[in-house]
Amino acid sequence: MRGFSPWLAATAPHIQIWIGALCTIGLYSLLYRENKLYRFFEHVYLGLATGFLVANTWTDIIRPKWYQPMVDKGMWWYMFELMIGFYYYFIFSRRHNWMARLIIGFFLGVASGQAFQQFANDQWPQISATFKPLLPHAAAGTVKAVTPGDAINNIIFVVMVVCVLSYFFFSFEHRNPAIKVSSRLGRWMMMFAFGAIFGSTVMARLALLIDRMYYLVFSWGGELGAETHLGANGKYLACGVIVALVLLMIVLSRRYPDDFSAPPGDSGAGGGGTS
Amino acid sequence: MANIVNNLQRLDRRYLYALLILCVVAPFFLEFNPPVYPTKPSRDLFNMIQSLPEHSFVLLGIDWSAGTRGENLPETEAIMRHLMLRHLRFGMLAYSDPQGKTQGENAAIRIGKEFGYREGIDWVNIGFKVDMNNSLKAMDLNVPGTFSTDIHGNKLSSLPVMAGVHTAADFSALIDITATSSYQTYIQFVGGPYRLKTGIAVTAVMAPESFNYLDSGQIKGLLQGLSAAAEYETLVENEEQKEGHPLPPETAIATKFNNSSSFAHLLIILMIILGNAGMLIERASKRREQEASA
Repeated sequence: MRGFSPWLAATAPHIQIWIGALCTIGLYSLLYRENKLYRFFEHVYLGLATGFLVANTWTDIIRPKWYQPMVDKGMWWYMFELMIGFYYYFIFSRRHNWMARLIIGFFLGVASGQAFQQFANDQWPQISATFKPLLPHAAAGTVKAVTPGDAINNIIFVVMVVCVLSYFFFSFEHRNPAIKVSSRLGRWMMMFAFGAIFGSTVMARLALLIDRMYYLVFSWGGELGAETHLGANGKYLACGVIVALVLLMIVLSRRYPDDFSAPPGDSGAGGGGTS
Repeated sequence: MANIVNNLQRLDRRYLYALLILCVVAPFFLEFNPPVYPTKPSRDLFNMIQSLPEHSFVLLGIDWSAGTRGENLPETEAIMRHLMLRHLRFGMLAYSDPQGKTQGENAAIRIGKEFGYREGIDWVNIGFKVDMNNSLKAMDLNVPGTFSTDIHGNKLSSLPVMAGVHTAADFSALIDITATSSYQTYIQFVGGPYRLKTGIAVTAVMAPESFNYLDSGQIKGLLQGLSAAAEYETLVENEEQKEGHPLPPETAIATKFNNSSSFAHLLIILMIILGNAGMLIERASKRREQEASA
């Protein structure tokens, strides 16, 4: 880009920040309601992400690993990889689909073989870690000490595992009182776990909002400061823009109440909120 | 009272969004830093890196994209800062998303300037790769042979940072910073078979299911989203002060983000309480009306 246009090369970082800010504001316009600006930036983002993936697959994988060795280094036999890859498309031919099954069978075999290793390294250590000492004891040789606190933790852990497992006994009806109680407890415990996941989701989504707001205030604010000669105070200008947009959203919300919050029977002038 | 309850029940969600945005932005300008107490999983990851000898090679999985930048970037920066402070070499690999290679590169360049870290000598960006299972299996036996070059086209085997790194057994540790299940594949094909010291930094959504791996000892340490990134940053900051290399305050983004997160969480808790109180009061008044009419 430097050779093509020195001005563009020098200005590109500033243009990037402006585009980033406009995309952020455009995407967050969804908070007011579904709108064309949001739709436009959503499609821009999806298109960019897909284009980036395709371009990088070529530059980082296919070109250095296949194209360059074949064309630049004369490893002509690499062309057979492409032909073997095309075997997949014989799935559309009734007469020749056995050729597609050859290559599918090959990769199915590879994946099945790997599944053994995956299971052994992933699940087995967790199964063995489920067997925990339930009584406190002192350290002996390679065996670690178990304090009364550890023992209580371990008992809670084992009870939870047993209860949750009993919930998934589908082979017989849960008529036995012991199974009935333990499976109900298991269901409650899973609900706690789902609650923890949901709580974490709130924190995760907030982190994304915080990052975008930080970008607007400091990165875009820096640009605004440089262009308006406000210098470091540009962040206050960016903050002012955010507050103005928030106020605009409130004014528009009062004028066009949301469908979900309007009293029953009154859908408002525009409605059309998204969940 | 009935009016207030009615309004609470029918409050337009966009007022809540407005309040939330203000709660997130206001702490950027406040000199208010609530104390951060590092939890055990964060301390364990910190201690894992602390225990590595100088100039050891650490494999860093950068498996995230712009979509989870708010959580994964503070984690990445805190971990990279620690690696540089400890004078460790590292190599970055991205499997889950091609953006990972760019995000990792940007962070390494930015923090590397503070520590005088140079690309190719102290760190290397191997780039974006696909077919994680087979690629890792091949890497286990021959690292430079599997990846050949870094993202700039330099031969891996000729880079000083790769000196002595031939197979997965030559890695001193493995840390995957991820927004996907890529850490499981790392455990299955690298961490598990080679008994490598493994740590992961995940998004908060993934944290509850990642604890299994911590409990079973398959990973040595765990960062769970933004709050853990702030904890890790605090640990690194304390270490930097000991080493006489204090962290510039403007770079402590995890702590800044965490302040906003605290305010936003307070607002959400307040709204949950108010919303539930409104619902209970409304239900009680309806019951009274029904009793009166009966």
